[in-house]
Amino acid sequence: MSTLRHTVSNLRGRPARTFLTALGTALGIATIVALLAVVGGAQRSARAFVHLGPAEFGLFQRDAADPTTSILPTSLGESLDRTPGVAATAPMMLLIDRLPQASGAIVFGAEAGDFLARGLVFSSGRLYRADNEIVVGDGLAEKLHLALGRALKIGHLKLAVVGIYHTGIAYQDSGAFVPLATAQQISGRQGEATTIVVKLDATTRPAAAERTITRRFPGVTVVSDAQQAARSGVSEQLISQFGLVIVVLALVIGGIGVANTMLMAVIERRTEFALLSALGFSGRQIAGRVLLESVLTTVLGAAIGLLFGILGARLLVMAIGAQTFVTPYVSAWTLGRGLLVGVLLGVLGGIYPAWRAAHVTPAAVLAQH
Amino acid sequence: MAGARVTVDHVSRAYGSTLVLDDVSFVVEPGEFVALTGPSGAGKTTLLQLIGSLDRPTKGRVLVDDVVVGDLAHPAGFRRATVGFVFQLHYLLSALSVLDNVELPMVAARVPHRERTQRALSLLEEVGLGDRAGARPSELSGGERQRVAIARALAGRPRLVLADEPAGALDTHNAANVWRLLGEVRDREGATVIVVTHDIGLAEQADRMIRLVDGRLAEPAQEISAQEGTS
Repeated sequence: MSTLRHTVSNLRGRPARTFLTALGTALGIATIVALLAVVGGAQRSARAFVHLGPAEFGLFQRDAADPTTSILPTSLGESLDRTPGVAATAPMMLLIDRLPQASGAIVFGAEAGDFLARGLVFSSGRLYRADNEIVVGDGLAEKLHLALGRALKIGHLKLAVVGIYHTGIAYQDSGAFVPLATAQQISGRQGEATTIVVKLDATTRPAAAERTITRRFPGVTVVSDAQQAARSGVSEQLISQFGLVIVVLALVIGGIGVANTMLMAVIERRTEFALLSALGFSGRQIAGRVLLESVLTTVLGAAIGLLFGILGARLLVMAIGAQTFVTPYVSAWTLGRGLLVGVLLGVLGGIYPAWRAAHVTPAAVLAQH
Repeated sequence: MAGARVTVDHVSRAYGSTLVLDDVSFVVEPGEFVALTGPSGAGKTTLLQLIGSLDRPTKGRVLVDDVVVGDLAHPAGFRRATVGFVFQLHYLLSALSVLDNVELPMVAARVPHRERTQRALSLLEEVGLGDRAGARPSELSGGERQRVAIARALAGRPRLVLADEPAGALDTHNAANVWRLLGEVRDREGATVIVVTHDIGLAEQADRMIRLVDGRLAEPAQEISAQEGTS
């Protein structure tokens, strides 16, 4: 208890150093928390995306760089319809970055008769009936001041707004739906879709259907949850691995920073440690005090870093223009990991300085004065 | 509690090719108050560090009671249990209060908090600083800081008190005060006290003087020398 009290007194007695060390840790933790929050938000969006409408899962091209770059022939839907357990299928084309006025908005290409488009609930207007018509989410309508009858340019086509819908899912309400043929025309991919979403019979178990489809159609990947969505895309994997690299780098750089600052503190305070040794403190006791000081400083930094991280995640999402479909998600586990990393930084960064402090030779140091 | 018996047995200490102590031998009896004198560079501080297990002799051995201090695997434990140090520079930790500073040796010995605080307050009363327990060292005068350092040296109930020029940086009044406190330590606690000093006037108040010259023990005839009074 007294060791803790003495350590806190020591830290308070050197406010500038304590603050700067904590700040260094805070930046590392903030990076980690921000990345985890963005990845968490993206996974939640992916989960909503996979379960678009009443679909159980989505089919994507195997080994596509990213789910959004997947290409499947729409004719695949007909074969799928004949698969036991499949109640309905709907080919869907995703158009990303085709609305320069609303960066990040997604345009969904779906046939009017499919369960996806039929499931939209309109606050005004109706579903499209012709290829030159579009329905927009209420979020997009508000952002672009769109009303029924207004024209909206998607790619090189000008489409008439005939309906405004609300689904309650942010990335859908901030996007738009167009006929599948229109989406194919805009992307120049006639007869193709990004994904085919699948609705199963009420009596069919998703796992069984997934096994059947994978066996029958070896060129596709069945994505039934967000984790799978993340794993299915090479880019997603790269982003995931990049995130891991950032976390490790933050740990290493943060650890070196903490070690450097603590080492400077130890060198500057050699007399203090020599005195403690002369007063009967064992090397282990002295090392423990330095380690405790290091951990307390980095935990303080971690607390600041958690706040910075939450704010930083929002800024990061805005910076990459993904705020439409990614809302940073900070879970208790994300915060816990941030704190854990803080403690780890304190321990790792404090080990060598603690060792140095424990091996100060009192006779040499005290004789210098 | 009886003081410790100190035996310095043919001790030499060299740093590289420089011989700081050369074949020094003497015995300090339990409860004795000894002044260690000599000119600068005579090896007084080195000898004190060897006795206090802060350093190891190159040759010979130092015994505190039956313990050969140079052979200790864990000298910090020995210091914690046996020795109290007072340095010329008080070495109080500026980030801690006066009370916390006095408690330090007891923290090392894991004395319970309540007992530790009571003893530290009692010691501060004895050195006349009972009302300054919450102050920071920077708020005290030089004499007061050295009195705190003496209180800290006594906190672990040492049987051997080693003081290196404890009054060296103080004016005459404060120096006499510090010397009186060290005398009381011997009288009240029964501890053996060895004090390094240049001041022959103060040294004469000790039970015995041991004089070092150029790392060697001076002849008995030289032990009390008027020359010391000027340094």
